[in-house]
Amino acid sequence: MSGLPILSILIFLPLAGCLLLLPVWGRPALSRPVALGIAGIELILTLWLYASWQSLAALPARLPGFLLMEDAPWIPAFGIRYTLGLDGISLLMVMLTAFLFCVALVVSWNAITDRAGLFLALMLIMESGIMGVFLSLDLALFYLFWEVMLIPMFFLIGVWGHGRKIYSTIKFFLFTMFGSLLMLLAIVALHLIHARQSGVATFGLNELLGTQIAPGTQLWLFGAFLLAFAIKFPLFPLHTWLPDAHTDAPTAGSVILAGLLLKTGSYGLIRFGYPLFPQAAQTLTPLLYSLAVIGIIYASLVAFAQEDMKRLIAYSSIGHMGFVAIGIAAWQPVALSGAVIQMANHGVTTGALFCLVGMLDERAHTREIRAFGGLWGKIPRYSFFFLIFSLATLGLPGLNNFVGEFLVLAGTMRKAPLVAALAFVGIVLTLIYTVRLVQEVLFQKERQPLPLADLDLRELVLLSVLALLALWMGIHPAPLLELIHLPVQLLTGGAP
Amino acid sequence: MTTLDLLALMPLIILTAGCVLCLLAGAVRPGFYLYWAAMAVVGVALLWSVLVHVEAVMSGLAVTRFSRACSGFLYAAGLVALLLAFDYNRRRGIKGEEYPATLLFALVGMGATCAASNLLMLFLGLEAFTFAFYIMVAVERDSGRGGEAGLKYLLNGTLSAAVMGMGMALVYAACGTLRLAELALAATQPDLLMLAGLGLILAGLAFKLSLVPAHLWTPDVYQGAPAPVTALLSTASKGAAAVALLLIFPLLQAWRGGHDLLWALALFSMLSGNLAALAQTSIKRMLAWSSIGQMGYVALAFVAYPAGGDRAALFYAATYALAGLAAFGAVAVLSDVSDRDDMDAYRGLGYRSPLAGATLALAMFSLAGIPPTAGFMAKFAVFSAALRAGEVSLALVGIASALVAVFFYLRVVVVLYMKASTGQPEVRPQNIPEMLALIVPGIAIILLGVYPQPLLDLLKDILP
Repeated sequence: MSGLPILSILIFLPLAGCLLLLPVWGRPALSRPVALGIAGIELILTLWLYASWQSLAALPARLPGFLLMEDAPWIPAFGIRYTLGLDGISLLMVMLTAFLFCVALVVSWNAITDRAGLFLALMLIMESGIMGVFLSLDLALFYLFWEVMLIPMFFLIGVWGHGRKIYSTIKFFLFTMFGSLLMLLAIVALHLIHARQSGVATFGLNELLGTQIAPGTQLWLFGAFLLAFAIKFPLFPLHTWLPDAHTDAPTAGSVILAGLLLKTGSYGLIRFGYPLFPQAAQTLTPLLYSLAVIGIIYASLVAFAQEDMKRLIAYSSIGHMGFVAIGIAAWQPVALSGAVIQMANHGVTTGALFCLVGMLDERAHTREIRAFGGLWGKIPRYSFFFLIFSLATLGLPGLNNFVGEFLVLAGTMRKAPLVAALAFVGIVLTLIYTVRLVQEVLFQKERQPLPLADLDLRELVLLSVLALLALWMGIHPAPLLELIHLPVQLLTGGAP
Repeated sequence: MTTLDLLALMPLIILTAGCVLCLLAGAVRPGFYLYWAAMAVVGVALLWSVLVHVEAVMSGLAVTRFSRACSGFLYAAGLVALLLAFDYNRRRGIKGEEYPATLLFALVGMGATCAASNLLMLFLGLEAFTFAFYIMVAVERDSGRGGEAGLKYLLNGTLSAAVMGMGMALVYAACGTLRLAELALAATQPDLLMLAGLGLILAGLAFKLSLVPAHLWTPDVYQGAPAPVTALLSTASKGAAAVALLLIFPLLQAWRGGHDLLWALALFSMLSGNLAALAQTSIKRMLAWSSIGQMGYVALAFVAYPAGGDRAALFYAATYALAGLAAFGAVAVLSDVSDRDDMDAYRGLGYRSPLAGATLALAMFSLAGIPPTAGFMAKFAVFSAALRAGEVSLALVGIASALVAVFFYLRVVVVLYMKASTGQPEVRPQNIPEMLALIVPGIAIILLGVYPQPLLDLLKDILP
């Protein structure tokens, strides 16, 4: 299989899968399995890559740390190449992508009945776009995928969303475009500076890494990158699109938004932002720290006041991503490993929580916390999973989020003790609003006689897989840490 | 005139003969078969310009690789407009031979503009196709708006023709020649007379490109004219005017004021075009204002002329033309006996008329510059050129106005796909010419968005 362009297959298989959907466009009963089958093949491919990553790492690599690379000229007139690369970090992200798309397709199996063909096609297109973001090593190519993944999400929220879906989807799109367009200018500027220095017109990350940039210019360029990534992250005060978009998106959309789109921001900062502009990043680190800490505390406080469960989880995402931001800002091996692991953890946990809220919404047609109560006695299986993932999200040792948060705090403690201490306050606040959520929904007296059915087989299997994964990542994170060890060391400049 | 010259001029001869024959045949036996005949004529002219590698330099006209490629593109746009007009005009009762004949005449003018090698021929070409548009804009005799639009276009157009003519006269007075090549040499040390002339020519072209402040005719004319005419007016006529600007650009290069003038035109066009488009509820007016903004980006590319802006400008004009054809094409196809002009009338049409809806949405994404459409690559080219030329502030304004533009382009997509339709009559099924007229630009938009290299190579090849 080594001769196959695996990375291109990962990116373009879902896109090609849209063609398979065409014959069964109007028949959801057939088109759903087709789409899930394609997402499943993607997952198997990524798992196969994971299973063989050590043998791939033993092969001589063109770039240190990279397991697989593909490179071809694409638009020589602009100096743009089609360069893909897979290292440990992108492999983890790619696995998460393939997995969460399967989750999203399964969870929306019965929920999306309207225009199911279009829905599935958009999901597959989005999978292609996100895969591309995690695999591109050419800045122009990265930008292209970065934008491509927006369009399906725009439709997903706007067509199948609830509430003020049009407001939310336009807000989401404009916020993201705002950052992206400035980043585009910065990318072009970087390209031109490099071309002037070396005479080579390129957008390749590896070539651009050697560019000497004057500190002032570097600050501007990094600022543009940081803005684009911070909006996706989202960092306070650029987060306002997120609660709206998450709340009004259909369940599958929320899972992908929280699980993957937010990760593209942090991934971009790790892969491009920090390595390309090290001095500027150093200068702006205090800013990143403070925004992340404010975000953690602010989002946790706001989450406490939410009445809508989905909104609460959306705000909790801002808090959790704050830890990722701190881990990146520390730019230190332990903290960065923690940040990367936390990205995967947050994808699994928050994805699962959005699935759970979506299931409740399908049954009760409301997401108000006050509408529920006493679910533990009524639908025990559901409540069990709700409790598990709530415990995971507040960082219970033994479950996945603990590992990421612990590593981030441990790494940051060495560089910025104050930040670590403040972030710890954030954990306590997370505990408060999560306990309130669990207590109100699961254990209070029943407030309304809602006709709720317990989980069916599909939901049970889905949540069990997610829970086992959360448990495995919590108890035995070593294989994943080993996977990202070398790239993290190379990024932070330490000896591998 | 040698045989070679004749062969080189054959597309223009074919179009002229086709135009005359169309008028004559219409006098004997009017009917819609004339559209097919006109399409065949344009098709032959298109194939000839693209396939027959003959270059010839005559007095006034120089058929070069550049002119062949540019005119070929414009003929293709004309072909799409004819495909659109065929059924549209039948539905709307626009009968008679004048429509196809005038359209052929417009294409003759555009072909002559691309091949012009002196100022007089450039003027003739430009005014020939503008003259044809005076007629086509007002071709729907019973429509009040059409008449008003025609008059507005005529009054503004004649004024700009006068200004441009005066400018050319001044240039001639200053240099004693009309040949572009000789003028470019003389322009290295321009005197005041020459500069005044160049300024006036630029003002005239600004009208054709509808750059602010010579844009005021655009919204009314775009809205009042039949949609297939607007499709051609907003794309091919803009493209031909951009080609004309490119041809006279060597004259402007030595003049700093020319740069400043274009700078201001670009700035105001990008800003006011995109801001005014925000407030529109009519889709045609929205597209009209947005086209003013889009031309601002072409002007931005011209500002960056020394840094490869010429290629960016042509590339941008071509991708804009594709998106404009697709957008106005979709409007034409979706318009029935009455114009479908109000944005609200497009509610939910993306599902009821999938092809036209998808083409319109694709055109919107391309105009907004979102990958993987051609519009993104075009914006990429323009902004790279602008930054390379050091025009950072103008590029920032361009990015900011592009963000504003995203909003109103998205609004069309929102209406098409995310608003429930409100019990309107069924949408008419499309026929094959219309489907072709939608699919061809649509596919070109995606292909150029994914792999623009061939067109960029071609442009590099044909530009001096």
